[in-house]
Amino acid sequence: MIPGVIVEFLGRASVAVAGTRDQNLVPHIHFVSGWQVSEDSTELTCFIPAKFTDNLISSLEDNGQLALTVEQIGPHETYQFKGDYLDSRPLQEDDLSIYEDCRERFVSACLPRFGIPEDVLRRYISKPSLAVRFKVREIFVQTPGPSAGKRLVPSEGS
Amino acid sequence: MTADRLPDEIKGVMENGVPVILATCSSDGIPNATIISQVYYVDPNTVAVSFQFFNKTSRNVRENPHASLCLNDLLTSNKWLLQVEYDHSETAGPIFETMDMHIEAIASATGMSGIFKLKAADIYRVKSVEKLAGN
Repeated sequence: MIPGVIVEFLGRASVAVAGTRDQNLVPHIHFVSGWQVSEDSTELTCFIPAKFTDNLISSLEDNGQLALTVEQIGPHETYQFKGDYLDSRPLQEDDLSIYEDCRERFVSACLPRFGIPEDVLRRYISKPSLAVRFKVREIFVQTPGPSAGKRLVPSEGS
Repeated sequence: MTADRLPDEIKGVMENGVPVILATCSSDGIPNATIISQVYYVDPNTVAVSFQFFNKTSRNVRENPHASLCLNDLLTSNKWLLQVEYDHSETAGPIFETMDMHIEAIASATGMSGIFKLKAADIYRVKSVEKLAGN
């Protein structure tokens, strides 16, 4: 289960990326344009643009392994969620507001840092075409610093 | 567009200060995705990645050399996907020294001075390069 503080983090985070691997153990990167926590906080859904879907479903159907890294730009607070693929579906109308909220957080975070116009930053977060749902098995700290790599869920030692 | 070597235009993207995504996979098949500060152009067939904290990444590529990189160009919205293979690590020499200097500069600029510390320059061979055009 995703702890409440991490659910809160997911509501303010500004960028995410997913990793899968194929049957030859070759990893693949899939840019993520939005994310959502399930009501029971055990699953995550990530929204992926069409141009980042190469090797995605074939890899997930082969082995089910997915890693999702989410960062809040600025403080560099970052967590990685590892889990098991459940299913995927085309983007629905209701998903658009989630995508737009994540995109606006990205724009707000990048504006003061990169000096790039707002509309250019907005274009950077492509509209997703696919929703991929997975059950979260582990959560790791990836914030730069001495705790990077520490497992939060299940807690280390358990 | 897919190529098997780095085009000249990618050099500017590598130096734009925008973080890079690096994905690896352990020998038992668990993928790992991490955000790193920079990738360094060595030659058209080689890049270097800073090894700072991400022990899982470092361990993964020593077990299974396959890795994937995503470079980001905020101005054009282009993204570059690189399939690479870990070759070796360097803890001294010109590549290491250059990376160490850049990392200290990035750390100072982002308020992370003293936290970012280069342990090694991990050298990767480029297998393929794909440019994903922006919207």
